Amino acid sequence: MSLLHATWLPAIRTPTSSGRPALLVWADTWRVAQPTGPAETPAIHPLTLDPETLRTWLGEKDLLPEGIIDATACLTLPSRQIKANNKSKAKPKETNAEAVSEPEWTGLPLQAGEPIPKQCEWWPWQVQGLAIEPSAATNWLARLPLSGGQPDLGDELRWWSHLQRWALSLIARGRWLPQVELSKGEGYPHRARWVPLLNREDDRRRLEELAARLPLVATCALPWREPTGRRSNRITRLRPEAMRAANPIASCRPRSGRLRVANLLEDLVDAQLRKSFEPNTQGLDPLLTAWEEALGSETGVIQLENEEAERLATASSHWKEGVAGKVAAARACLELFTPTEGGELWELRFALQAEADPTLKVPACTAWASGSQVLQLGEIRVENPGEVLLEGMGRALTVFQPIERGLDSATPESMQLTPAEAFVLVRTGSTQLRDVGVGVELPASLSGGLASRLGLAIKAEFPDTSRSFTLGESLAWNWELMIGGVTLTLRELERLASKRSPLVQHKGAWIELRPNDLKNAERFCSANPDISLDDALRLTATEGDTLMKLPVHRFEAGPRLQGVLEQYHQQKAPDPLAAPEGFNGQLRPYQERGLGWLAFLNRFDQGACLADDMGLGKTIQLLAFLQHLKIEQELKRPVLLIAPTSVLTNWKREAQAFTPDLKVHEHYGPRRPSTTSTLQKSLKGVDLVLTSYGLIQRDIDLIEIIDWQGVVIDEAQAIKNPSAKQSQATREIARPSKNNRFRIALTGTPVENRVSELWALMDFLNPKVLGEEDFFRQRYRLPIERYGDMSSLKDLKARVSPFILRRLKTDKAIISDLPEKVELSEWVGLSKEQKSLYSKTVENTLDAIARAPQGQRHGKVLGLLTRLKQICNHPALALKETTVGEGFMARSSKLERLEEILEEVIEAGDRALLFTQFAEWGHLLQAYLQQRWQCDVPFLHGSTRKSERQAMVDRFQEDPRGPQLFLLSLKAGGVGLNLTRANHVFHIDRWWNPAVENQATDRAYRIGQANRVMVHKFITSGSVEEKINQMIREKSRLAEDIIGSGEDWLGGLGVNQLRDLVALDDNSSP
Amino acid sequence: MTNTPIKTDITTALSEQGLGEQPWWVEQWMELINSYRFKKRLERAWTYAREGNVTSIRFEGRRVHARVQGTDEEPYKVKLWLDVLNDEDWGYVLEALTQKARWSAQLLAGIMPSDIERAFAASGRRLFPFKLQEVRSECSCPDKANPCKHISAIYFLMGDRFSEDPFVLFQLRGRTRSKLLADLAEQRREALKAIAIKSNQETIVNNELPVAPHPAVIEPSLWWAYDASLNADLVVITPAMEGDTGLHAAGDLPLAEEPRYPEARQRFLKHLHQQGEAFAQQAMLQAMAAGE
Repeated sequence: MSLLHATWLPAIRTPTSSGRPALLVWADTWRVAQPTGPAETPAIHPLTLDPETLRTWLGEKDLLPEGIIDATACLTLPSRQIKANNKSKAKPKETNAEAVSEPEWTGLPLQAGEPIPKQCEWWPWQVQGLAIEPSAATNWLARLPLSGGQPDLGDELRWWSHLQRWALSLIARGRWLPQVELSKGEGYPHRARWVPLLNREDDRRRLEELAARLPLVATCALPWREPTGRRSNRITRLRPEAMRAANPIASCRPRSGRLRVANLLEDLVDAQLRKSFEPNTQGLDPLLTAWEEALGSETGVIQLENEEAERLATASSHWKEGVAGKVAAARACLELFTPTEGGELWELRFALQAEADPTLKVPACTAWASGSQVLQLGEIRVENPGEVLLEGMGRALTVFQPIERGLDSATPESMQLTPAEAFVLVRTGSTQLRDVGVGVELPASLSGGLASRLGLAIKAEFPDTSRSFTLGESLAWNWELMIGGVTLTLRELERLASKRSPLVQHKGAWIELRPNDLKNAERFCSANPDISLDDALRLTATEGDTLMKLPVHRFEAGPRLQGVLEQYHQQKAPDPLAAPEGFNGQLRPYQERGLGWLAFLNRFDQGACLADDMGLGKTIQLLAFLQHLKIEQELKRPVLLIAPTSVLTNWKREAQAFTPDLKVHEHYGPRRPSTTSTLQKSLKGVDLVLTSYGLIQRDIDLIEIIDWQGVVIDEAQAIKNPSAKQSQATREIARPSKNNRFRIALTGTPVENRVSELWALMDFLNPKVLGEEDFFRQRYRLPIERYGDMSSLKDLKARVSPFILRRLKTDKAIISDLPEKVELSEWVGLSKEQKSLYSKTVENTLDAIARAPQGQRHGKVLGLLTRLKQICNHPALALKETTVGEGFMARSSKLERLEEILEEVIEAGDRALLFTQFAEWGHLLQAYLQQRWQCDVPFLHGSTRKSERQAMVDRFQEDPRGPQLFLLSLKAGGVGLNLTRANHVFHIDRWWNPAVENQATDRAYRIGQANRVMVHKFITSGSVEEKINQMIREKSRLAEDIIGSGEDWLGGLGVNQLRDLVALDDNSSP
Repeated sequence: MTNTPIKTDITTALSEQGLGEQPWWVEQWMELINSYRFKKRLERAWTYAREGNVTSIRFEGRRVHARVQGTDEEPYKVKLWLDVLNDEDWGYVLEALTQKARWSAQLLAGIMPSDIERAFAASGRRLFPFKLQEVRSECSCPDKANPCKHISAIYFLMGDRFSEDPFVLFQLRGRTRSKLLADLAEQRREALKAIAIKSNQETIVNNELPVAPHPAVIEPSLWWAYDASLNADLVVITPAMEGDTGLHAAGDLPLAEEPRYPEARQRFLKHLHQQGEAFAQQAMLQAMAAGE
């Protein structure tokens, strides 16, 4: 896959043109390329899309900008050295260019996401792309997504879209002034510019953030000048050592982000305002007319004599100075300290503070003492610290007059403020000072945050008599008023309020009382409300939650309540619950915690979503939970489990294996009960009912009437679309009727990150948590999806996280519990078409085999087995179809299940190898998967050319955006290859020789594999696949002896043995 | 608010209109002119200035060069200058300026301290001319009187020009702003040497130490990496509060008005304000459409 990039091309100013900057849009892609190096000029980047392809690609993505021209630039990129000679033997020998002198250095530029080689060097590369003129560029950037999740857009595009968003915000808030920028030298034009004002505290902070995170690829360009003379024969070499010595290649040197970002921002703001500005020169004098016209012109060139331009430049810069200063590494900072014991004067200390990290401060005396030297604030260098401090103080003086007194000496360090002055500073001065770019640090209790407001400190615990089992239960509690970190009684509050002084001292802390504080406190006292466990959960969920309008500053829970709160908020791992009696298997430690968590939420009647990563055993945790209920005699009514048809078989198998005591009933197939009474009859003594999403929708009236104890949904993403019928029916069933029903959802997808899908899930689990769908869309979905609003996302996560438990294979706590290779049996059934085809084939062929002469039997048996395996894969394979028709997926249960699992693999960003023994199946599957995910799925099989094989393997292993799925035929791909980037291996069909399968598995599970490998083996239940699987298991030693050589042994089976082996066991499949 | 409040009656207009709105140094200049005894001549000069007879005023080094269209075909050349302070005088001034951090602070922030004369007092000199007679002048016109009406016309326009750049006065006295600031910094360093020796040196580094390498040099993947989410303040883009734009904060443009275009500056600013509102509307619409 190609990756789109955007790099700013700074303006080239020449005496003949003012030069405009441009945004270079380019893309790199993975391909096999010859290492190359600079000769007279930097080498051509061998991995970029040519402009024509780029145009087409952008057009397809609906991202083709307006106003573009083909352009070349010289980009400095991290590169990997590769010796051309050593590599040549692996390449076709076409390097016969004798005239070209060998470059000293050869290599390739790195691509985003590629592993970084130990020795990384920086080299300039000629990059071709499309240049967008500035105002079109701002339009284009404004259309880019603001949040991530676009695999073919480079990270820096998001940085750009954030920068553009900021530019829009500055324009919306009118934070700009027009300026005149003087010519940089003889003959260059003077220009009118629109300049953003970055004096406000939040804008300054944003500049620091964007500068600190600037992806350098966004600014690593030198405009490409065609090599026309001797000047261009200097080749740039930028090794890390050289960079450390600050090699003077100005535009590539990764430094001084602040100023650079400020300039980029200025370019964006200028481009937009220039385009929108409609000059009106009526009644203007010649000077202003020239300025006005230039402000609206494309190039900004201002038609004035030097002298007049200088006058305008001086006046406009003087104009701007009153609002905003220069972009510097540090700023002046005023720190307010409360009066000393007994005193009444406040102290204001002067300091110098780093812009990038306001916690880095030095007192003024240090700044004074540094003289002409550079001051080091942490990692930050501040040049001319004394001047920076003085300039800030001069600006501070314009908004906070009292400072004048403090600047009477040559090197002032602090001053004293009267209580009235201190109050002005706290109330209004601090904001104004921050607005002119001066930092202000107030005492914590006055800093204006939530803590400085009047609120509550609460202590609570379960009453002694409580079993702490319900949510509505009242807690034993007491409370105190709290402000600025100190507690106070209502009487004390009254006394302080009576002082009529805005800043008062209490228990040693200075606090600011607001007009309504006393009234709110009195109201709360007289109401003296009760609080319940439910309140406690809410108040401890997010900071600043309020109780009767008073924020809760402190919540101290007694030990028993604390335990419940911590578990509920998942601040600690859930208390484990050992596998219940009658559970036929072992739980890993994290599974015991999962079981404990399900039981915990069930106790409070809260729905729970177990969202563990694939392969961590959600099924057995759920089964263990049901067995736990059974043993505790709490399982009194049947539990309904809804799952996609494709996994019902799996559920049945697992329940048989792990919880044989549970009585399982399948509500499935044509013979299922069709009236309430027959259904009720069939459910007698039944613990678990399995059914599919499809049937829920069809049999809703029937199923609704049953008094379920609980509803479990597997592959819960099936209900993600709230308006779909199966989603509505499922949520309907989960509502309590006569009795409460417990709700559990299982899914392997990262639900908490899929905002649009959360609502339906939570509506199923705990409808109150997210409210109505409309509210949810306005409050969370739009802000998060459209703008990537983190505060909404944070709030949303805080709300839903108590109900979602997700552990990943990669979690430290899990890794130690898991073996390095996890084998998973994926049980699947047969579709209707598969079933009839299977039975017919068995019937027809067995007779033929019985009648066949001995010599031919062997071959015929193998032929039958092969055909049956093909049918288990897909009827199309057995019927020798060659195209993927409509409804292709539904014709095979195996494919249906495979698709579901692959969905999770792709979603998680994992990579998988898919093995099959049938090349024809590989081709069909390749076509299907490519169509399904709109991506490239390579297929390596016997007739793949050798060079192609290597390219496929290289691409899978190396390309940062390479394919996530890799199809291989067992014979061609089972040996020799190194495919450690995959952490999933699928054996779609079975080869009855474990050694062959293991060898294939070892393509991924071998040295170099950094992750756990999940091996998925598909077994079609009731078919020959299951029988042979069983045989191999039961007689594994025998199997190794007999079948070590391959599948031949099957040919020697007697007809009766064979019949047993291949006959379809119809009961075992839904 | 115009810095040339003179309409027809010079004296009253000056004292009643907008005086408080002007920078103090402009005010002081106007007072200087008004202290002049020959009111009739001033009136004629003002008419001259207002009608646009002054075709150019240039600050060139320590002198003001102007051209005034008189009765002659060629404009008359006018030169104005003040007595320049010598280096010794400047030495005293700089030393005095260093004693009060506020003076440097204001000068660095582009503000002319209102008590700046006190720093000059140390040298026994002044920044501002005390009497109009201290303003030296020459005019190429045949009029023997000094100031002639051409020179007086320049007087009027000078006040406004001072508001464009408060440091012009320093320039006329022999120091440009940059030279002044550089000298001040030097002076401060001298004064601070004593403190520097006794203070903690740890946080101060020498200029010649190599700059720490950029993080991308050590971690080249940073060349491409950006994983931050949109800043919460930028999620919803809001307009400025009433009267809270940069234009409001910056106030009147300190540009001397051309007398023939009495409303020009106001028109310019008003148009900018109007356009600014349109810009804001447009930006918000564009922001709302994002991500759709």
